[in-house]
Amino acid sequence: MEFTVPIGPQHPALKEPISLRMTLEGEVIKGVDIKLGYNHRGMEKLAEDRSYIQNLYLTERICGICSFSHTTCFAQGVETLMEIEPARRGLFIRTLVCELERVHSHLLWLGVAGHEAGFDTFFMYTWRDREIVMDLLEMISGNRVHYAMNTFGGVRRDIDELQRKKIADSLDTLTKRTEYYLKIGSSEPTFVARLAGVGPLPKQMALDLCAVGPTLRASGVPSDIRRDDPYGIYAEIPFEVCTSDLCDVLGRVVVRINEVLQSYKIIDWLVKNLPDGPVKVKAPRKVKPNEAVSRYEAPRGENIHYIKSNGSDKPERLKVRAPTLANYPATVEMLKGQFIADIPLVFAAIDPCICCAERMVELRDQGSEQTRIVSFADLRRLAAQYYSVDRLQHKEVEWPL
Amino acid sequence: MISDEQIMAQIKSDIGDKIADITIQAPRRIHLHVKPENLNMALAYIKEKWAFTLMSTISGVDLGEQFEFIYHMANLYTNINVRIMTPRSDPKVPTTTGVIPGAILYERELQDMFGVVVEGIPDSRPLLLPDDWPQGEYPLRKDWKWERPVEVIPGGK
Amino acid sequence: MATIKPILYFLVYPGLMFLFVYSTFVEWVDRKLYARMQNRIGPLHTGRSGILQPVADILKLLGKEDIVPEKADKFMFSALPVIALTAVCTAALYLPVWHYDVARITYNSFPGDLIVLAFLLTLPTIIYFLAGWHSTNFFSTIGGVRVLTMLFGYEVPLYLAILSPAVLADSWRLAEIQKFYSQHPLLILPNLIGFAVAVVALQAKLERVPFDIPHAETELVGGTLTEYSGKKLAFFRLMADIEMVVGSGFLAAVFLGGFTGGLWIGFVKFIILTLFIVFILATIRTVCSRIRIDQMVVFSWRYLAPLAVLQLLIAIILKGSMKV
Repeated sequence: MEFTVPIGPQHPALKEPISLRMTLEGEVIKGVDIKLGYNHRGMEKLAEDRSYIQNLYLTERICGICSFSHTTCFAQGVETLMEIEPARRGLFIRTLVCELERVHSHLLWLGVAGHEAGFDTFFMYTWRDREIVMDLLEMISGNRVHYAMNTFGGVRRDIDELQRKKIADSLDTLTKRTEYYLKIGSSEPTFVARLAGVGPLPKQMALDLCAVGPTLRASGVPSDIRRDDPYGIYAEIPFEVCTSDLCDVLGRVVVRINEVLQSYKIIDWLVKNLPDGPVKVKAPRKVKPNEAVSRYEAPRGENIHYIKSNGSDKPERLKVRAPTLANYPATVEMLKGQFIADIPLVFAAIDPCICCAERMVELRDQGSEQTRIVSFADLRRLAAQYYSVDRLQHKEVEWPL
Repeated sequence: MISDEQIMAQIKSDIGDKIADITIQAPRRIHLHVKPENLNMALAYIKEKWAFTLMSTISGVDLGEQFEFIYHMANLYTNINVRIMTPRSDPKVPTTTGVIPGAILYERELQDMFGVVVEGIPDSRPLLLPDDWPQGEYPLRKDWKWERPVEVIPGGK
Repeated sequence: MATIKPILYFLVYPGLMFLFVYSTFVEWVDRKLYARMQNRIGPLHTGRSGILQPVADILKLLGKEDIVPEKADKFMFSALPVIALTAVCTAALYLPVWHYDVARITYNSFPGDLIVLAFLLTLPTIIYFLAGWHSTNFFSTIGGVRVLTMLFGYEVPLYLAILSPAVLADSWRLAEIQKFYSQHPLLILPNLIGFAVAVVALQAKLERVPFDIPHAETELVGGTLTEYSGKKLAFFRLMADIEMVVGSGFLAAVFLGGFTGGLWIGFVKFIILTLFIVFILATIRTVCSRIRIDQMVVFSWRYLAPLAVLQLLIAIILKGSMKV
C-alpha cells in the first residue's frame, strides 16, 4: 500500500523550510518530489536596482553559514569586470577568512549529522570546537557571521602580529581534536552502522545529475574548483583534493573531516607566508559594459556568479547559483529505496543551505507573514471556511500546499 | 591537459560551420555562440570530446528585443559558456536534459522566470513561484516591476 | 499502628511522595552526568546546581495549554497518561524495600510478584502504542508501530535474564531472592552476563539512546507523544522518570542483592544501588548514537537473546551442582 508523507515545510529535521513529498511503501521510499520556493527572497531582481557596493552587502546576506563565499565570488567577478588586480596581502587575508569559514561550516555540518543520527555527544564536541573558530573570526573581522571583510580590490581590515600568533596557536588544538573525530567518525560502531550504505550515489549518476562539492567528491570524482579553476592565490598553495570511494553518507563525513584537516594546513601556510603591503586598491565606481563568470569552491560545492555590466554603477544582471540547488536532483535519486529513518540523514548529507538555493523574485515570506494582498485574502477565506460553525460536516480543505 | 586555444581550434575545425562564433574572454573562459537548434549538438560534442559533464547553471538576460541564455559548462580544467539568442516575441528553446539530465531544475527555473517555453522538457511544473502566482507574469523580464503593497494593519489605522 | 504503616507505605515510602521526589532527583543526576560527559554544564540555575530543574519542567508543563486532536477519542486520549502513571506507581509497591516479612505472605510480597512487577513494567509500552494509535496522526501511528516492534525485540531477553537469578535462588518472590543473594554475595558473580543483558534491555524499555527510535525527534517529529501537551505530557514525563527508578530498583533487587536490613539500611542501599544503575544507563546514553529499528531487532535476537539463554544455562548447571 502506497501513501504519501509530507516532510516539511516545517519539520524538526529541517533547519529551513522545504517541502519533500515522499511516496512510501511500508518503510521504504519509492519516490520523492521536491517543492522549493519557501525561502525565496528575490535577490537577483533586487540586485539590479542597487549599486555594486550595495550589492556586496546584499550578496552577503544570501546565507549565514557560507556568507563569505558569496561576497568573495561576487567581488572576484566585479574585479574581473573592472579589470583591476586586487592587492596581494588582501588576497592572502581573503583566503584566510575563506578557509576559516570552510572549517566552521564543516564542523557545523558534522554536529548536525551527529544530531540527525542521534549521536548528541558528537554534536556537542564539534560545536565546542566551532566556538574556537568563531572566536578567531570575531577577532579578525568583528563579527561571528557576516564578516563584511570583502571589498573590490582587497579586504577592509588588516591583521597584526598578535592575531597571527593566536591563529597559529588555536590551530594546534583544533588539529588534535579533528583527528580524534576522524577516528570516531570512521570507527564508532553505532555511528557507522547508521551511516554506512545509506544514500548511495554511484559515480556515473553523480556526473550525470551535475552534483557538486563533497557530494561529488565522496563518489570518487576529484573535482575541486580550487584545483580546477584556481582563483585568488590558490594556484600557489600546496594542498590535496580529498575524495572517497564509498559513495554514501559515511564517505561524505570522511571527505569533510579530511577537508577540514587540509584547511588547517592551508591556514598554517597562509599565516606563515603573509606578505607585506596594502590590503586594498582603489576601485572605480562605474563599470564599462562587460561580463564575467566567477566560480568559487564554497563549503557545500561550486558557487557560480554571472555578472553583466552596462556602463552605469548598477549591474545589468546578476545570476547566482548556489551549490545546494545543484545537489537537489542528486538528492532525489539518493532517497529512492531508503528507509524513512534515513531521510534526515540523507538530506543533511548534501549539507543543505536552502536559503542559498533560492533567490529569485520575492513573493511571500516564510511562515505566515504575507506581503501580497491577494493571498492574504485567500488565506482568510480558507481559515473562515475551516473554522466555520458547520464543522460537523468535515469538509476537507485544500490548502495551497 | 589541453589549453584553451587548442580547444578553440579543434571546435572550429570540427563543427565550425554550425556555430556562430567562438572567443576566449579570459583564462579558462571560452564563449561559444550557437543557434538554438544546434544547442544539443554542441553540448553533446563538448561532453563527448573533453568530458564537459558539469552544467553549472543556465543564466538568462533580457536584452530588450531578444533573450540571451548562457549554458555554463565545466570540466576538470576549464569552462565553456554556450550562448544562444531567442526573440522575445516567440521565446522557445530546446531542452538539454537528453544530454545533461541534471539540467532539469535550471530549465524549470527559466520557464518560471522568463516565460520561455522549453520544448520537450520532461517535467514542466513551476519551480520557485508559488501555486497561486498569476499567469503571464515573468519576474526576471526587464518590464516587470514589483511595487511594495500598501501595508494593512488589521484593526489599526 | 496497623493502619498507619500501610498508609505510610502507599503515600510516603515507597509510595507517591518518595517516588515523585526521588524520580526527579534521578532525572537530575542523569542529565547532569550526560552534560558533564559532553563537556557541558547541564542544569544550573534552578535550586542549588540545578537540582530542581526536573520539578520546574513538570510544573511548567502542568500549566500549559492542553490540546486534544479533533478526530481523537477524547476519553482514551485523556485516560492513557493517568493509566500509565498508575501502572508504574503500582509497580513500585512490589519492590521489597520495607513492610514485608519473608516468613509471611502479604499483599505486597508473595510468590510470583517477580512476574507481576515485570508485567506492570510492560504496561507503559502498550500504553505508548495506544497513545500513538489514538492520536490519529501519521507520525504517531508510525511511532506506535515502532514501539511494538521494539517490544518484540527486547522483552524476551529481559524476561529470560531475570529468570536466572530466580532459578538460582529457587524462588519467585523478590523478597526471598534478595535475601538469598545478600546471604551468599559470591553468587552474584555468575549472574553478571544476565545483569548486562538486563541493563541493555532496560535502556530499550525506557526508550533512551541508542533505542529511542519511537520518539526520535529528528525523524518522526515526536513519535507517539507528538500530540500530547500540557498536563498529559507532564504525566507521561513523570511516568518515564518513575519507570527509570522502578526499573533500576527491580534490577538491583534481582541481581545485586537488594535492600535487606530493615527500613533505614534498606533505604540507603536502595539509593546507592539505583544510582549505580542510573550511572551505567547515563553512560550508555552518552556514548552511543541511535540505531535503526531493524538493526535493533536483529541485535536483540542475535546477541541479547542467546546471551540470556546462556545465562539461564549457567544458572541451571550451577544450581544442579549446588544441590549435589
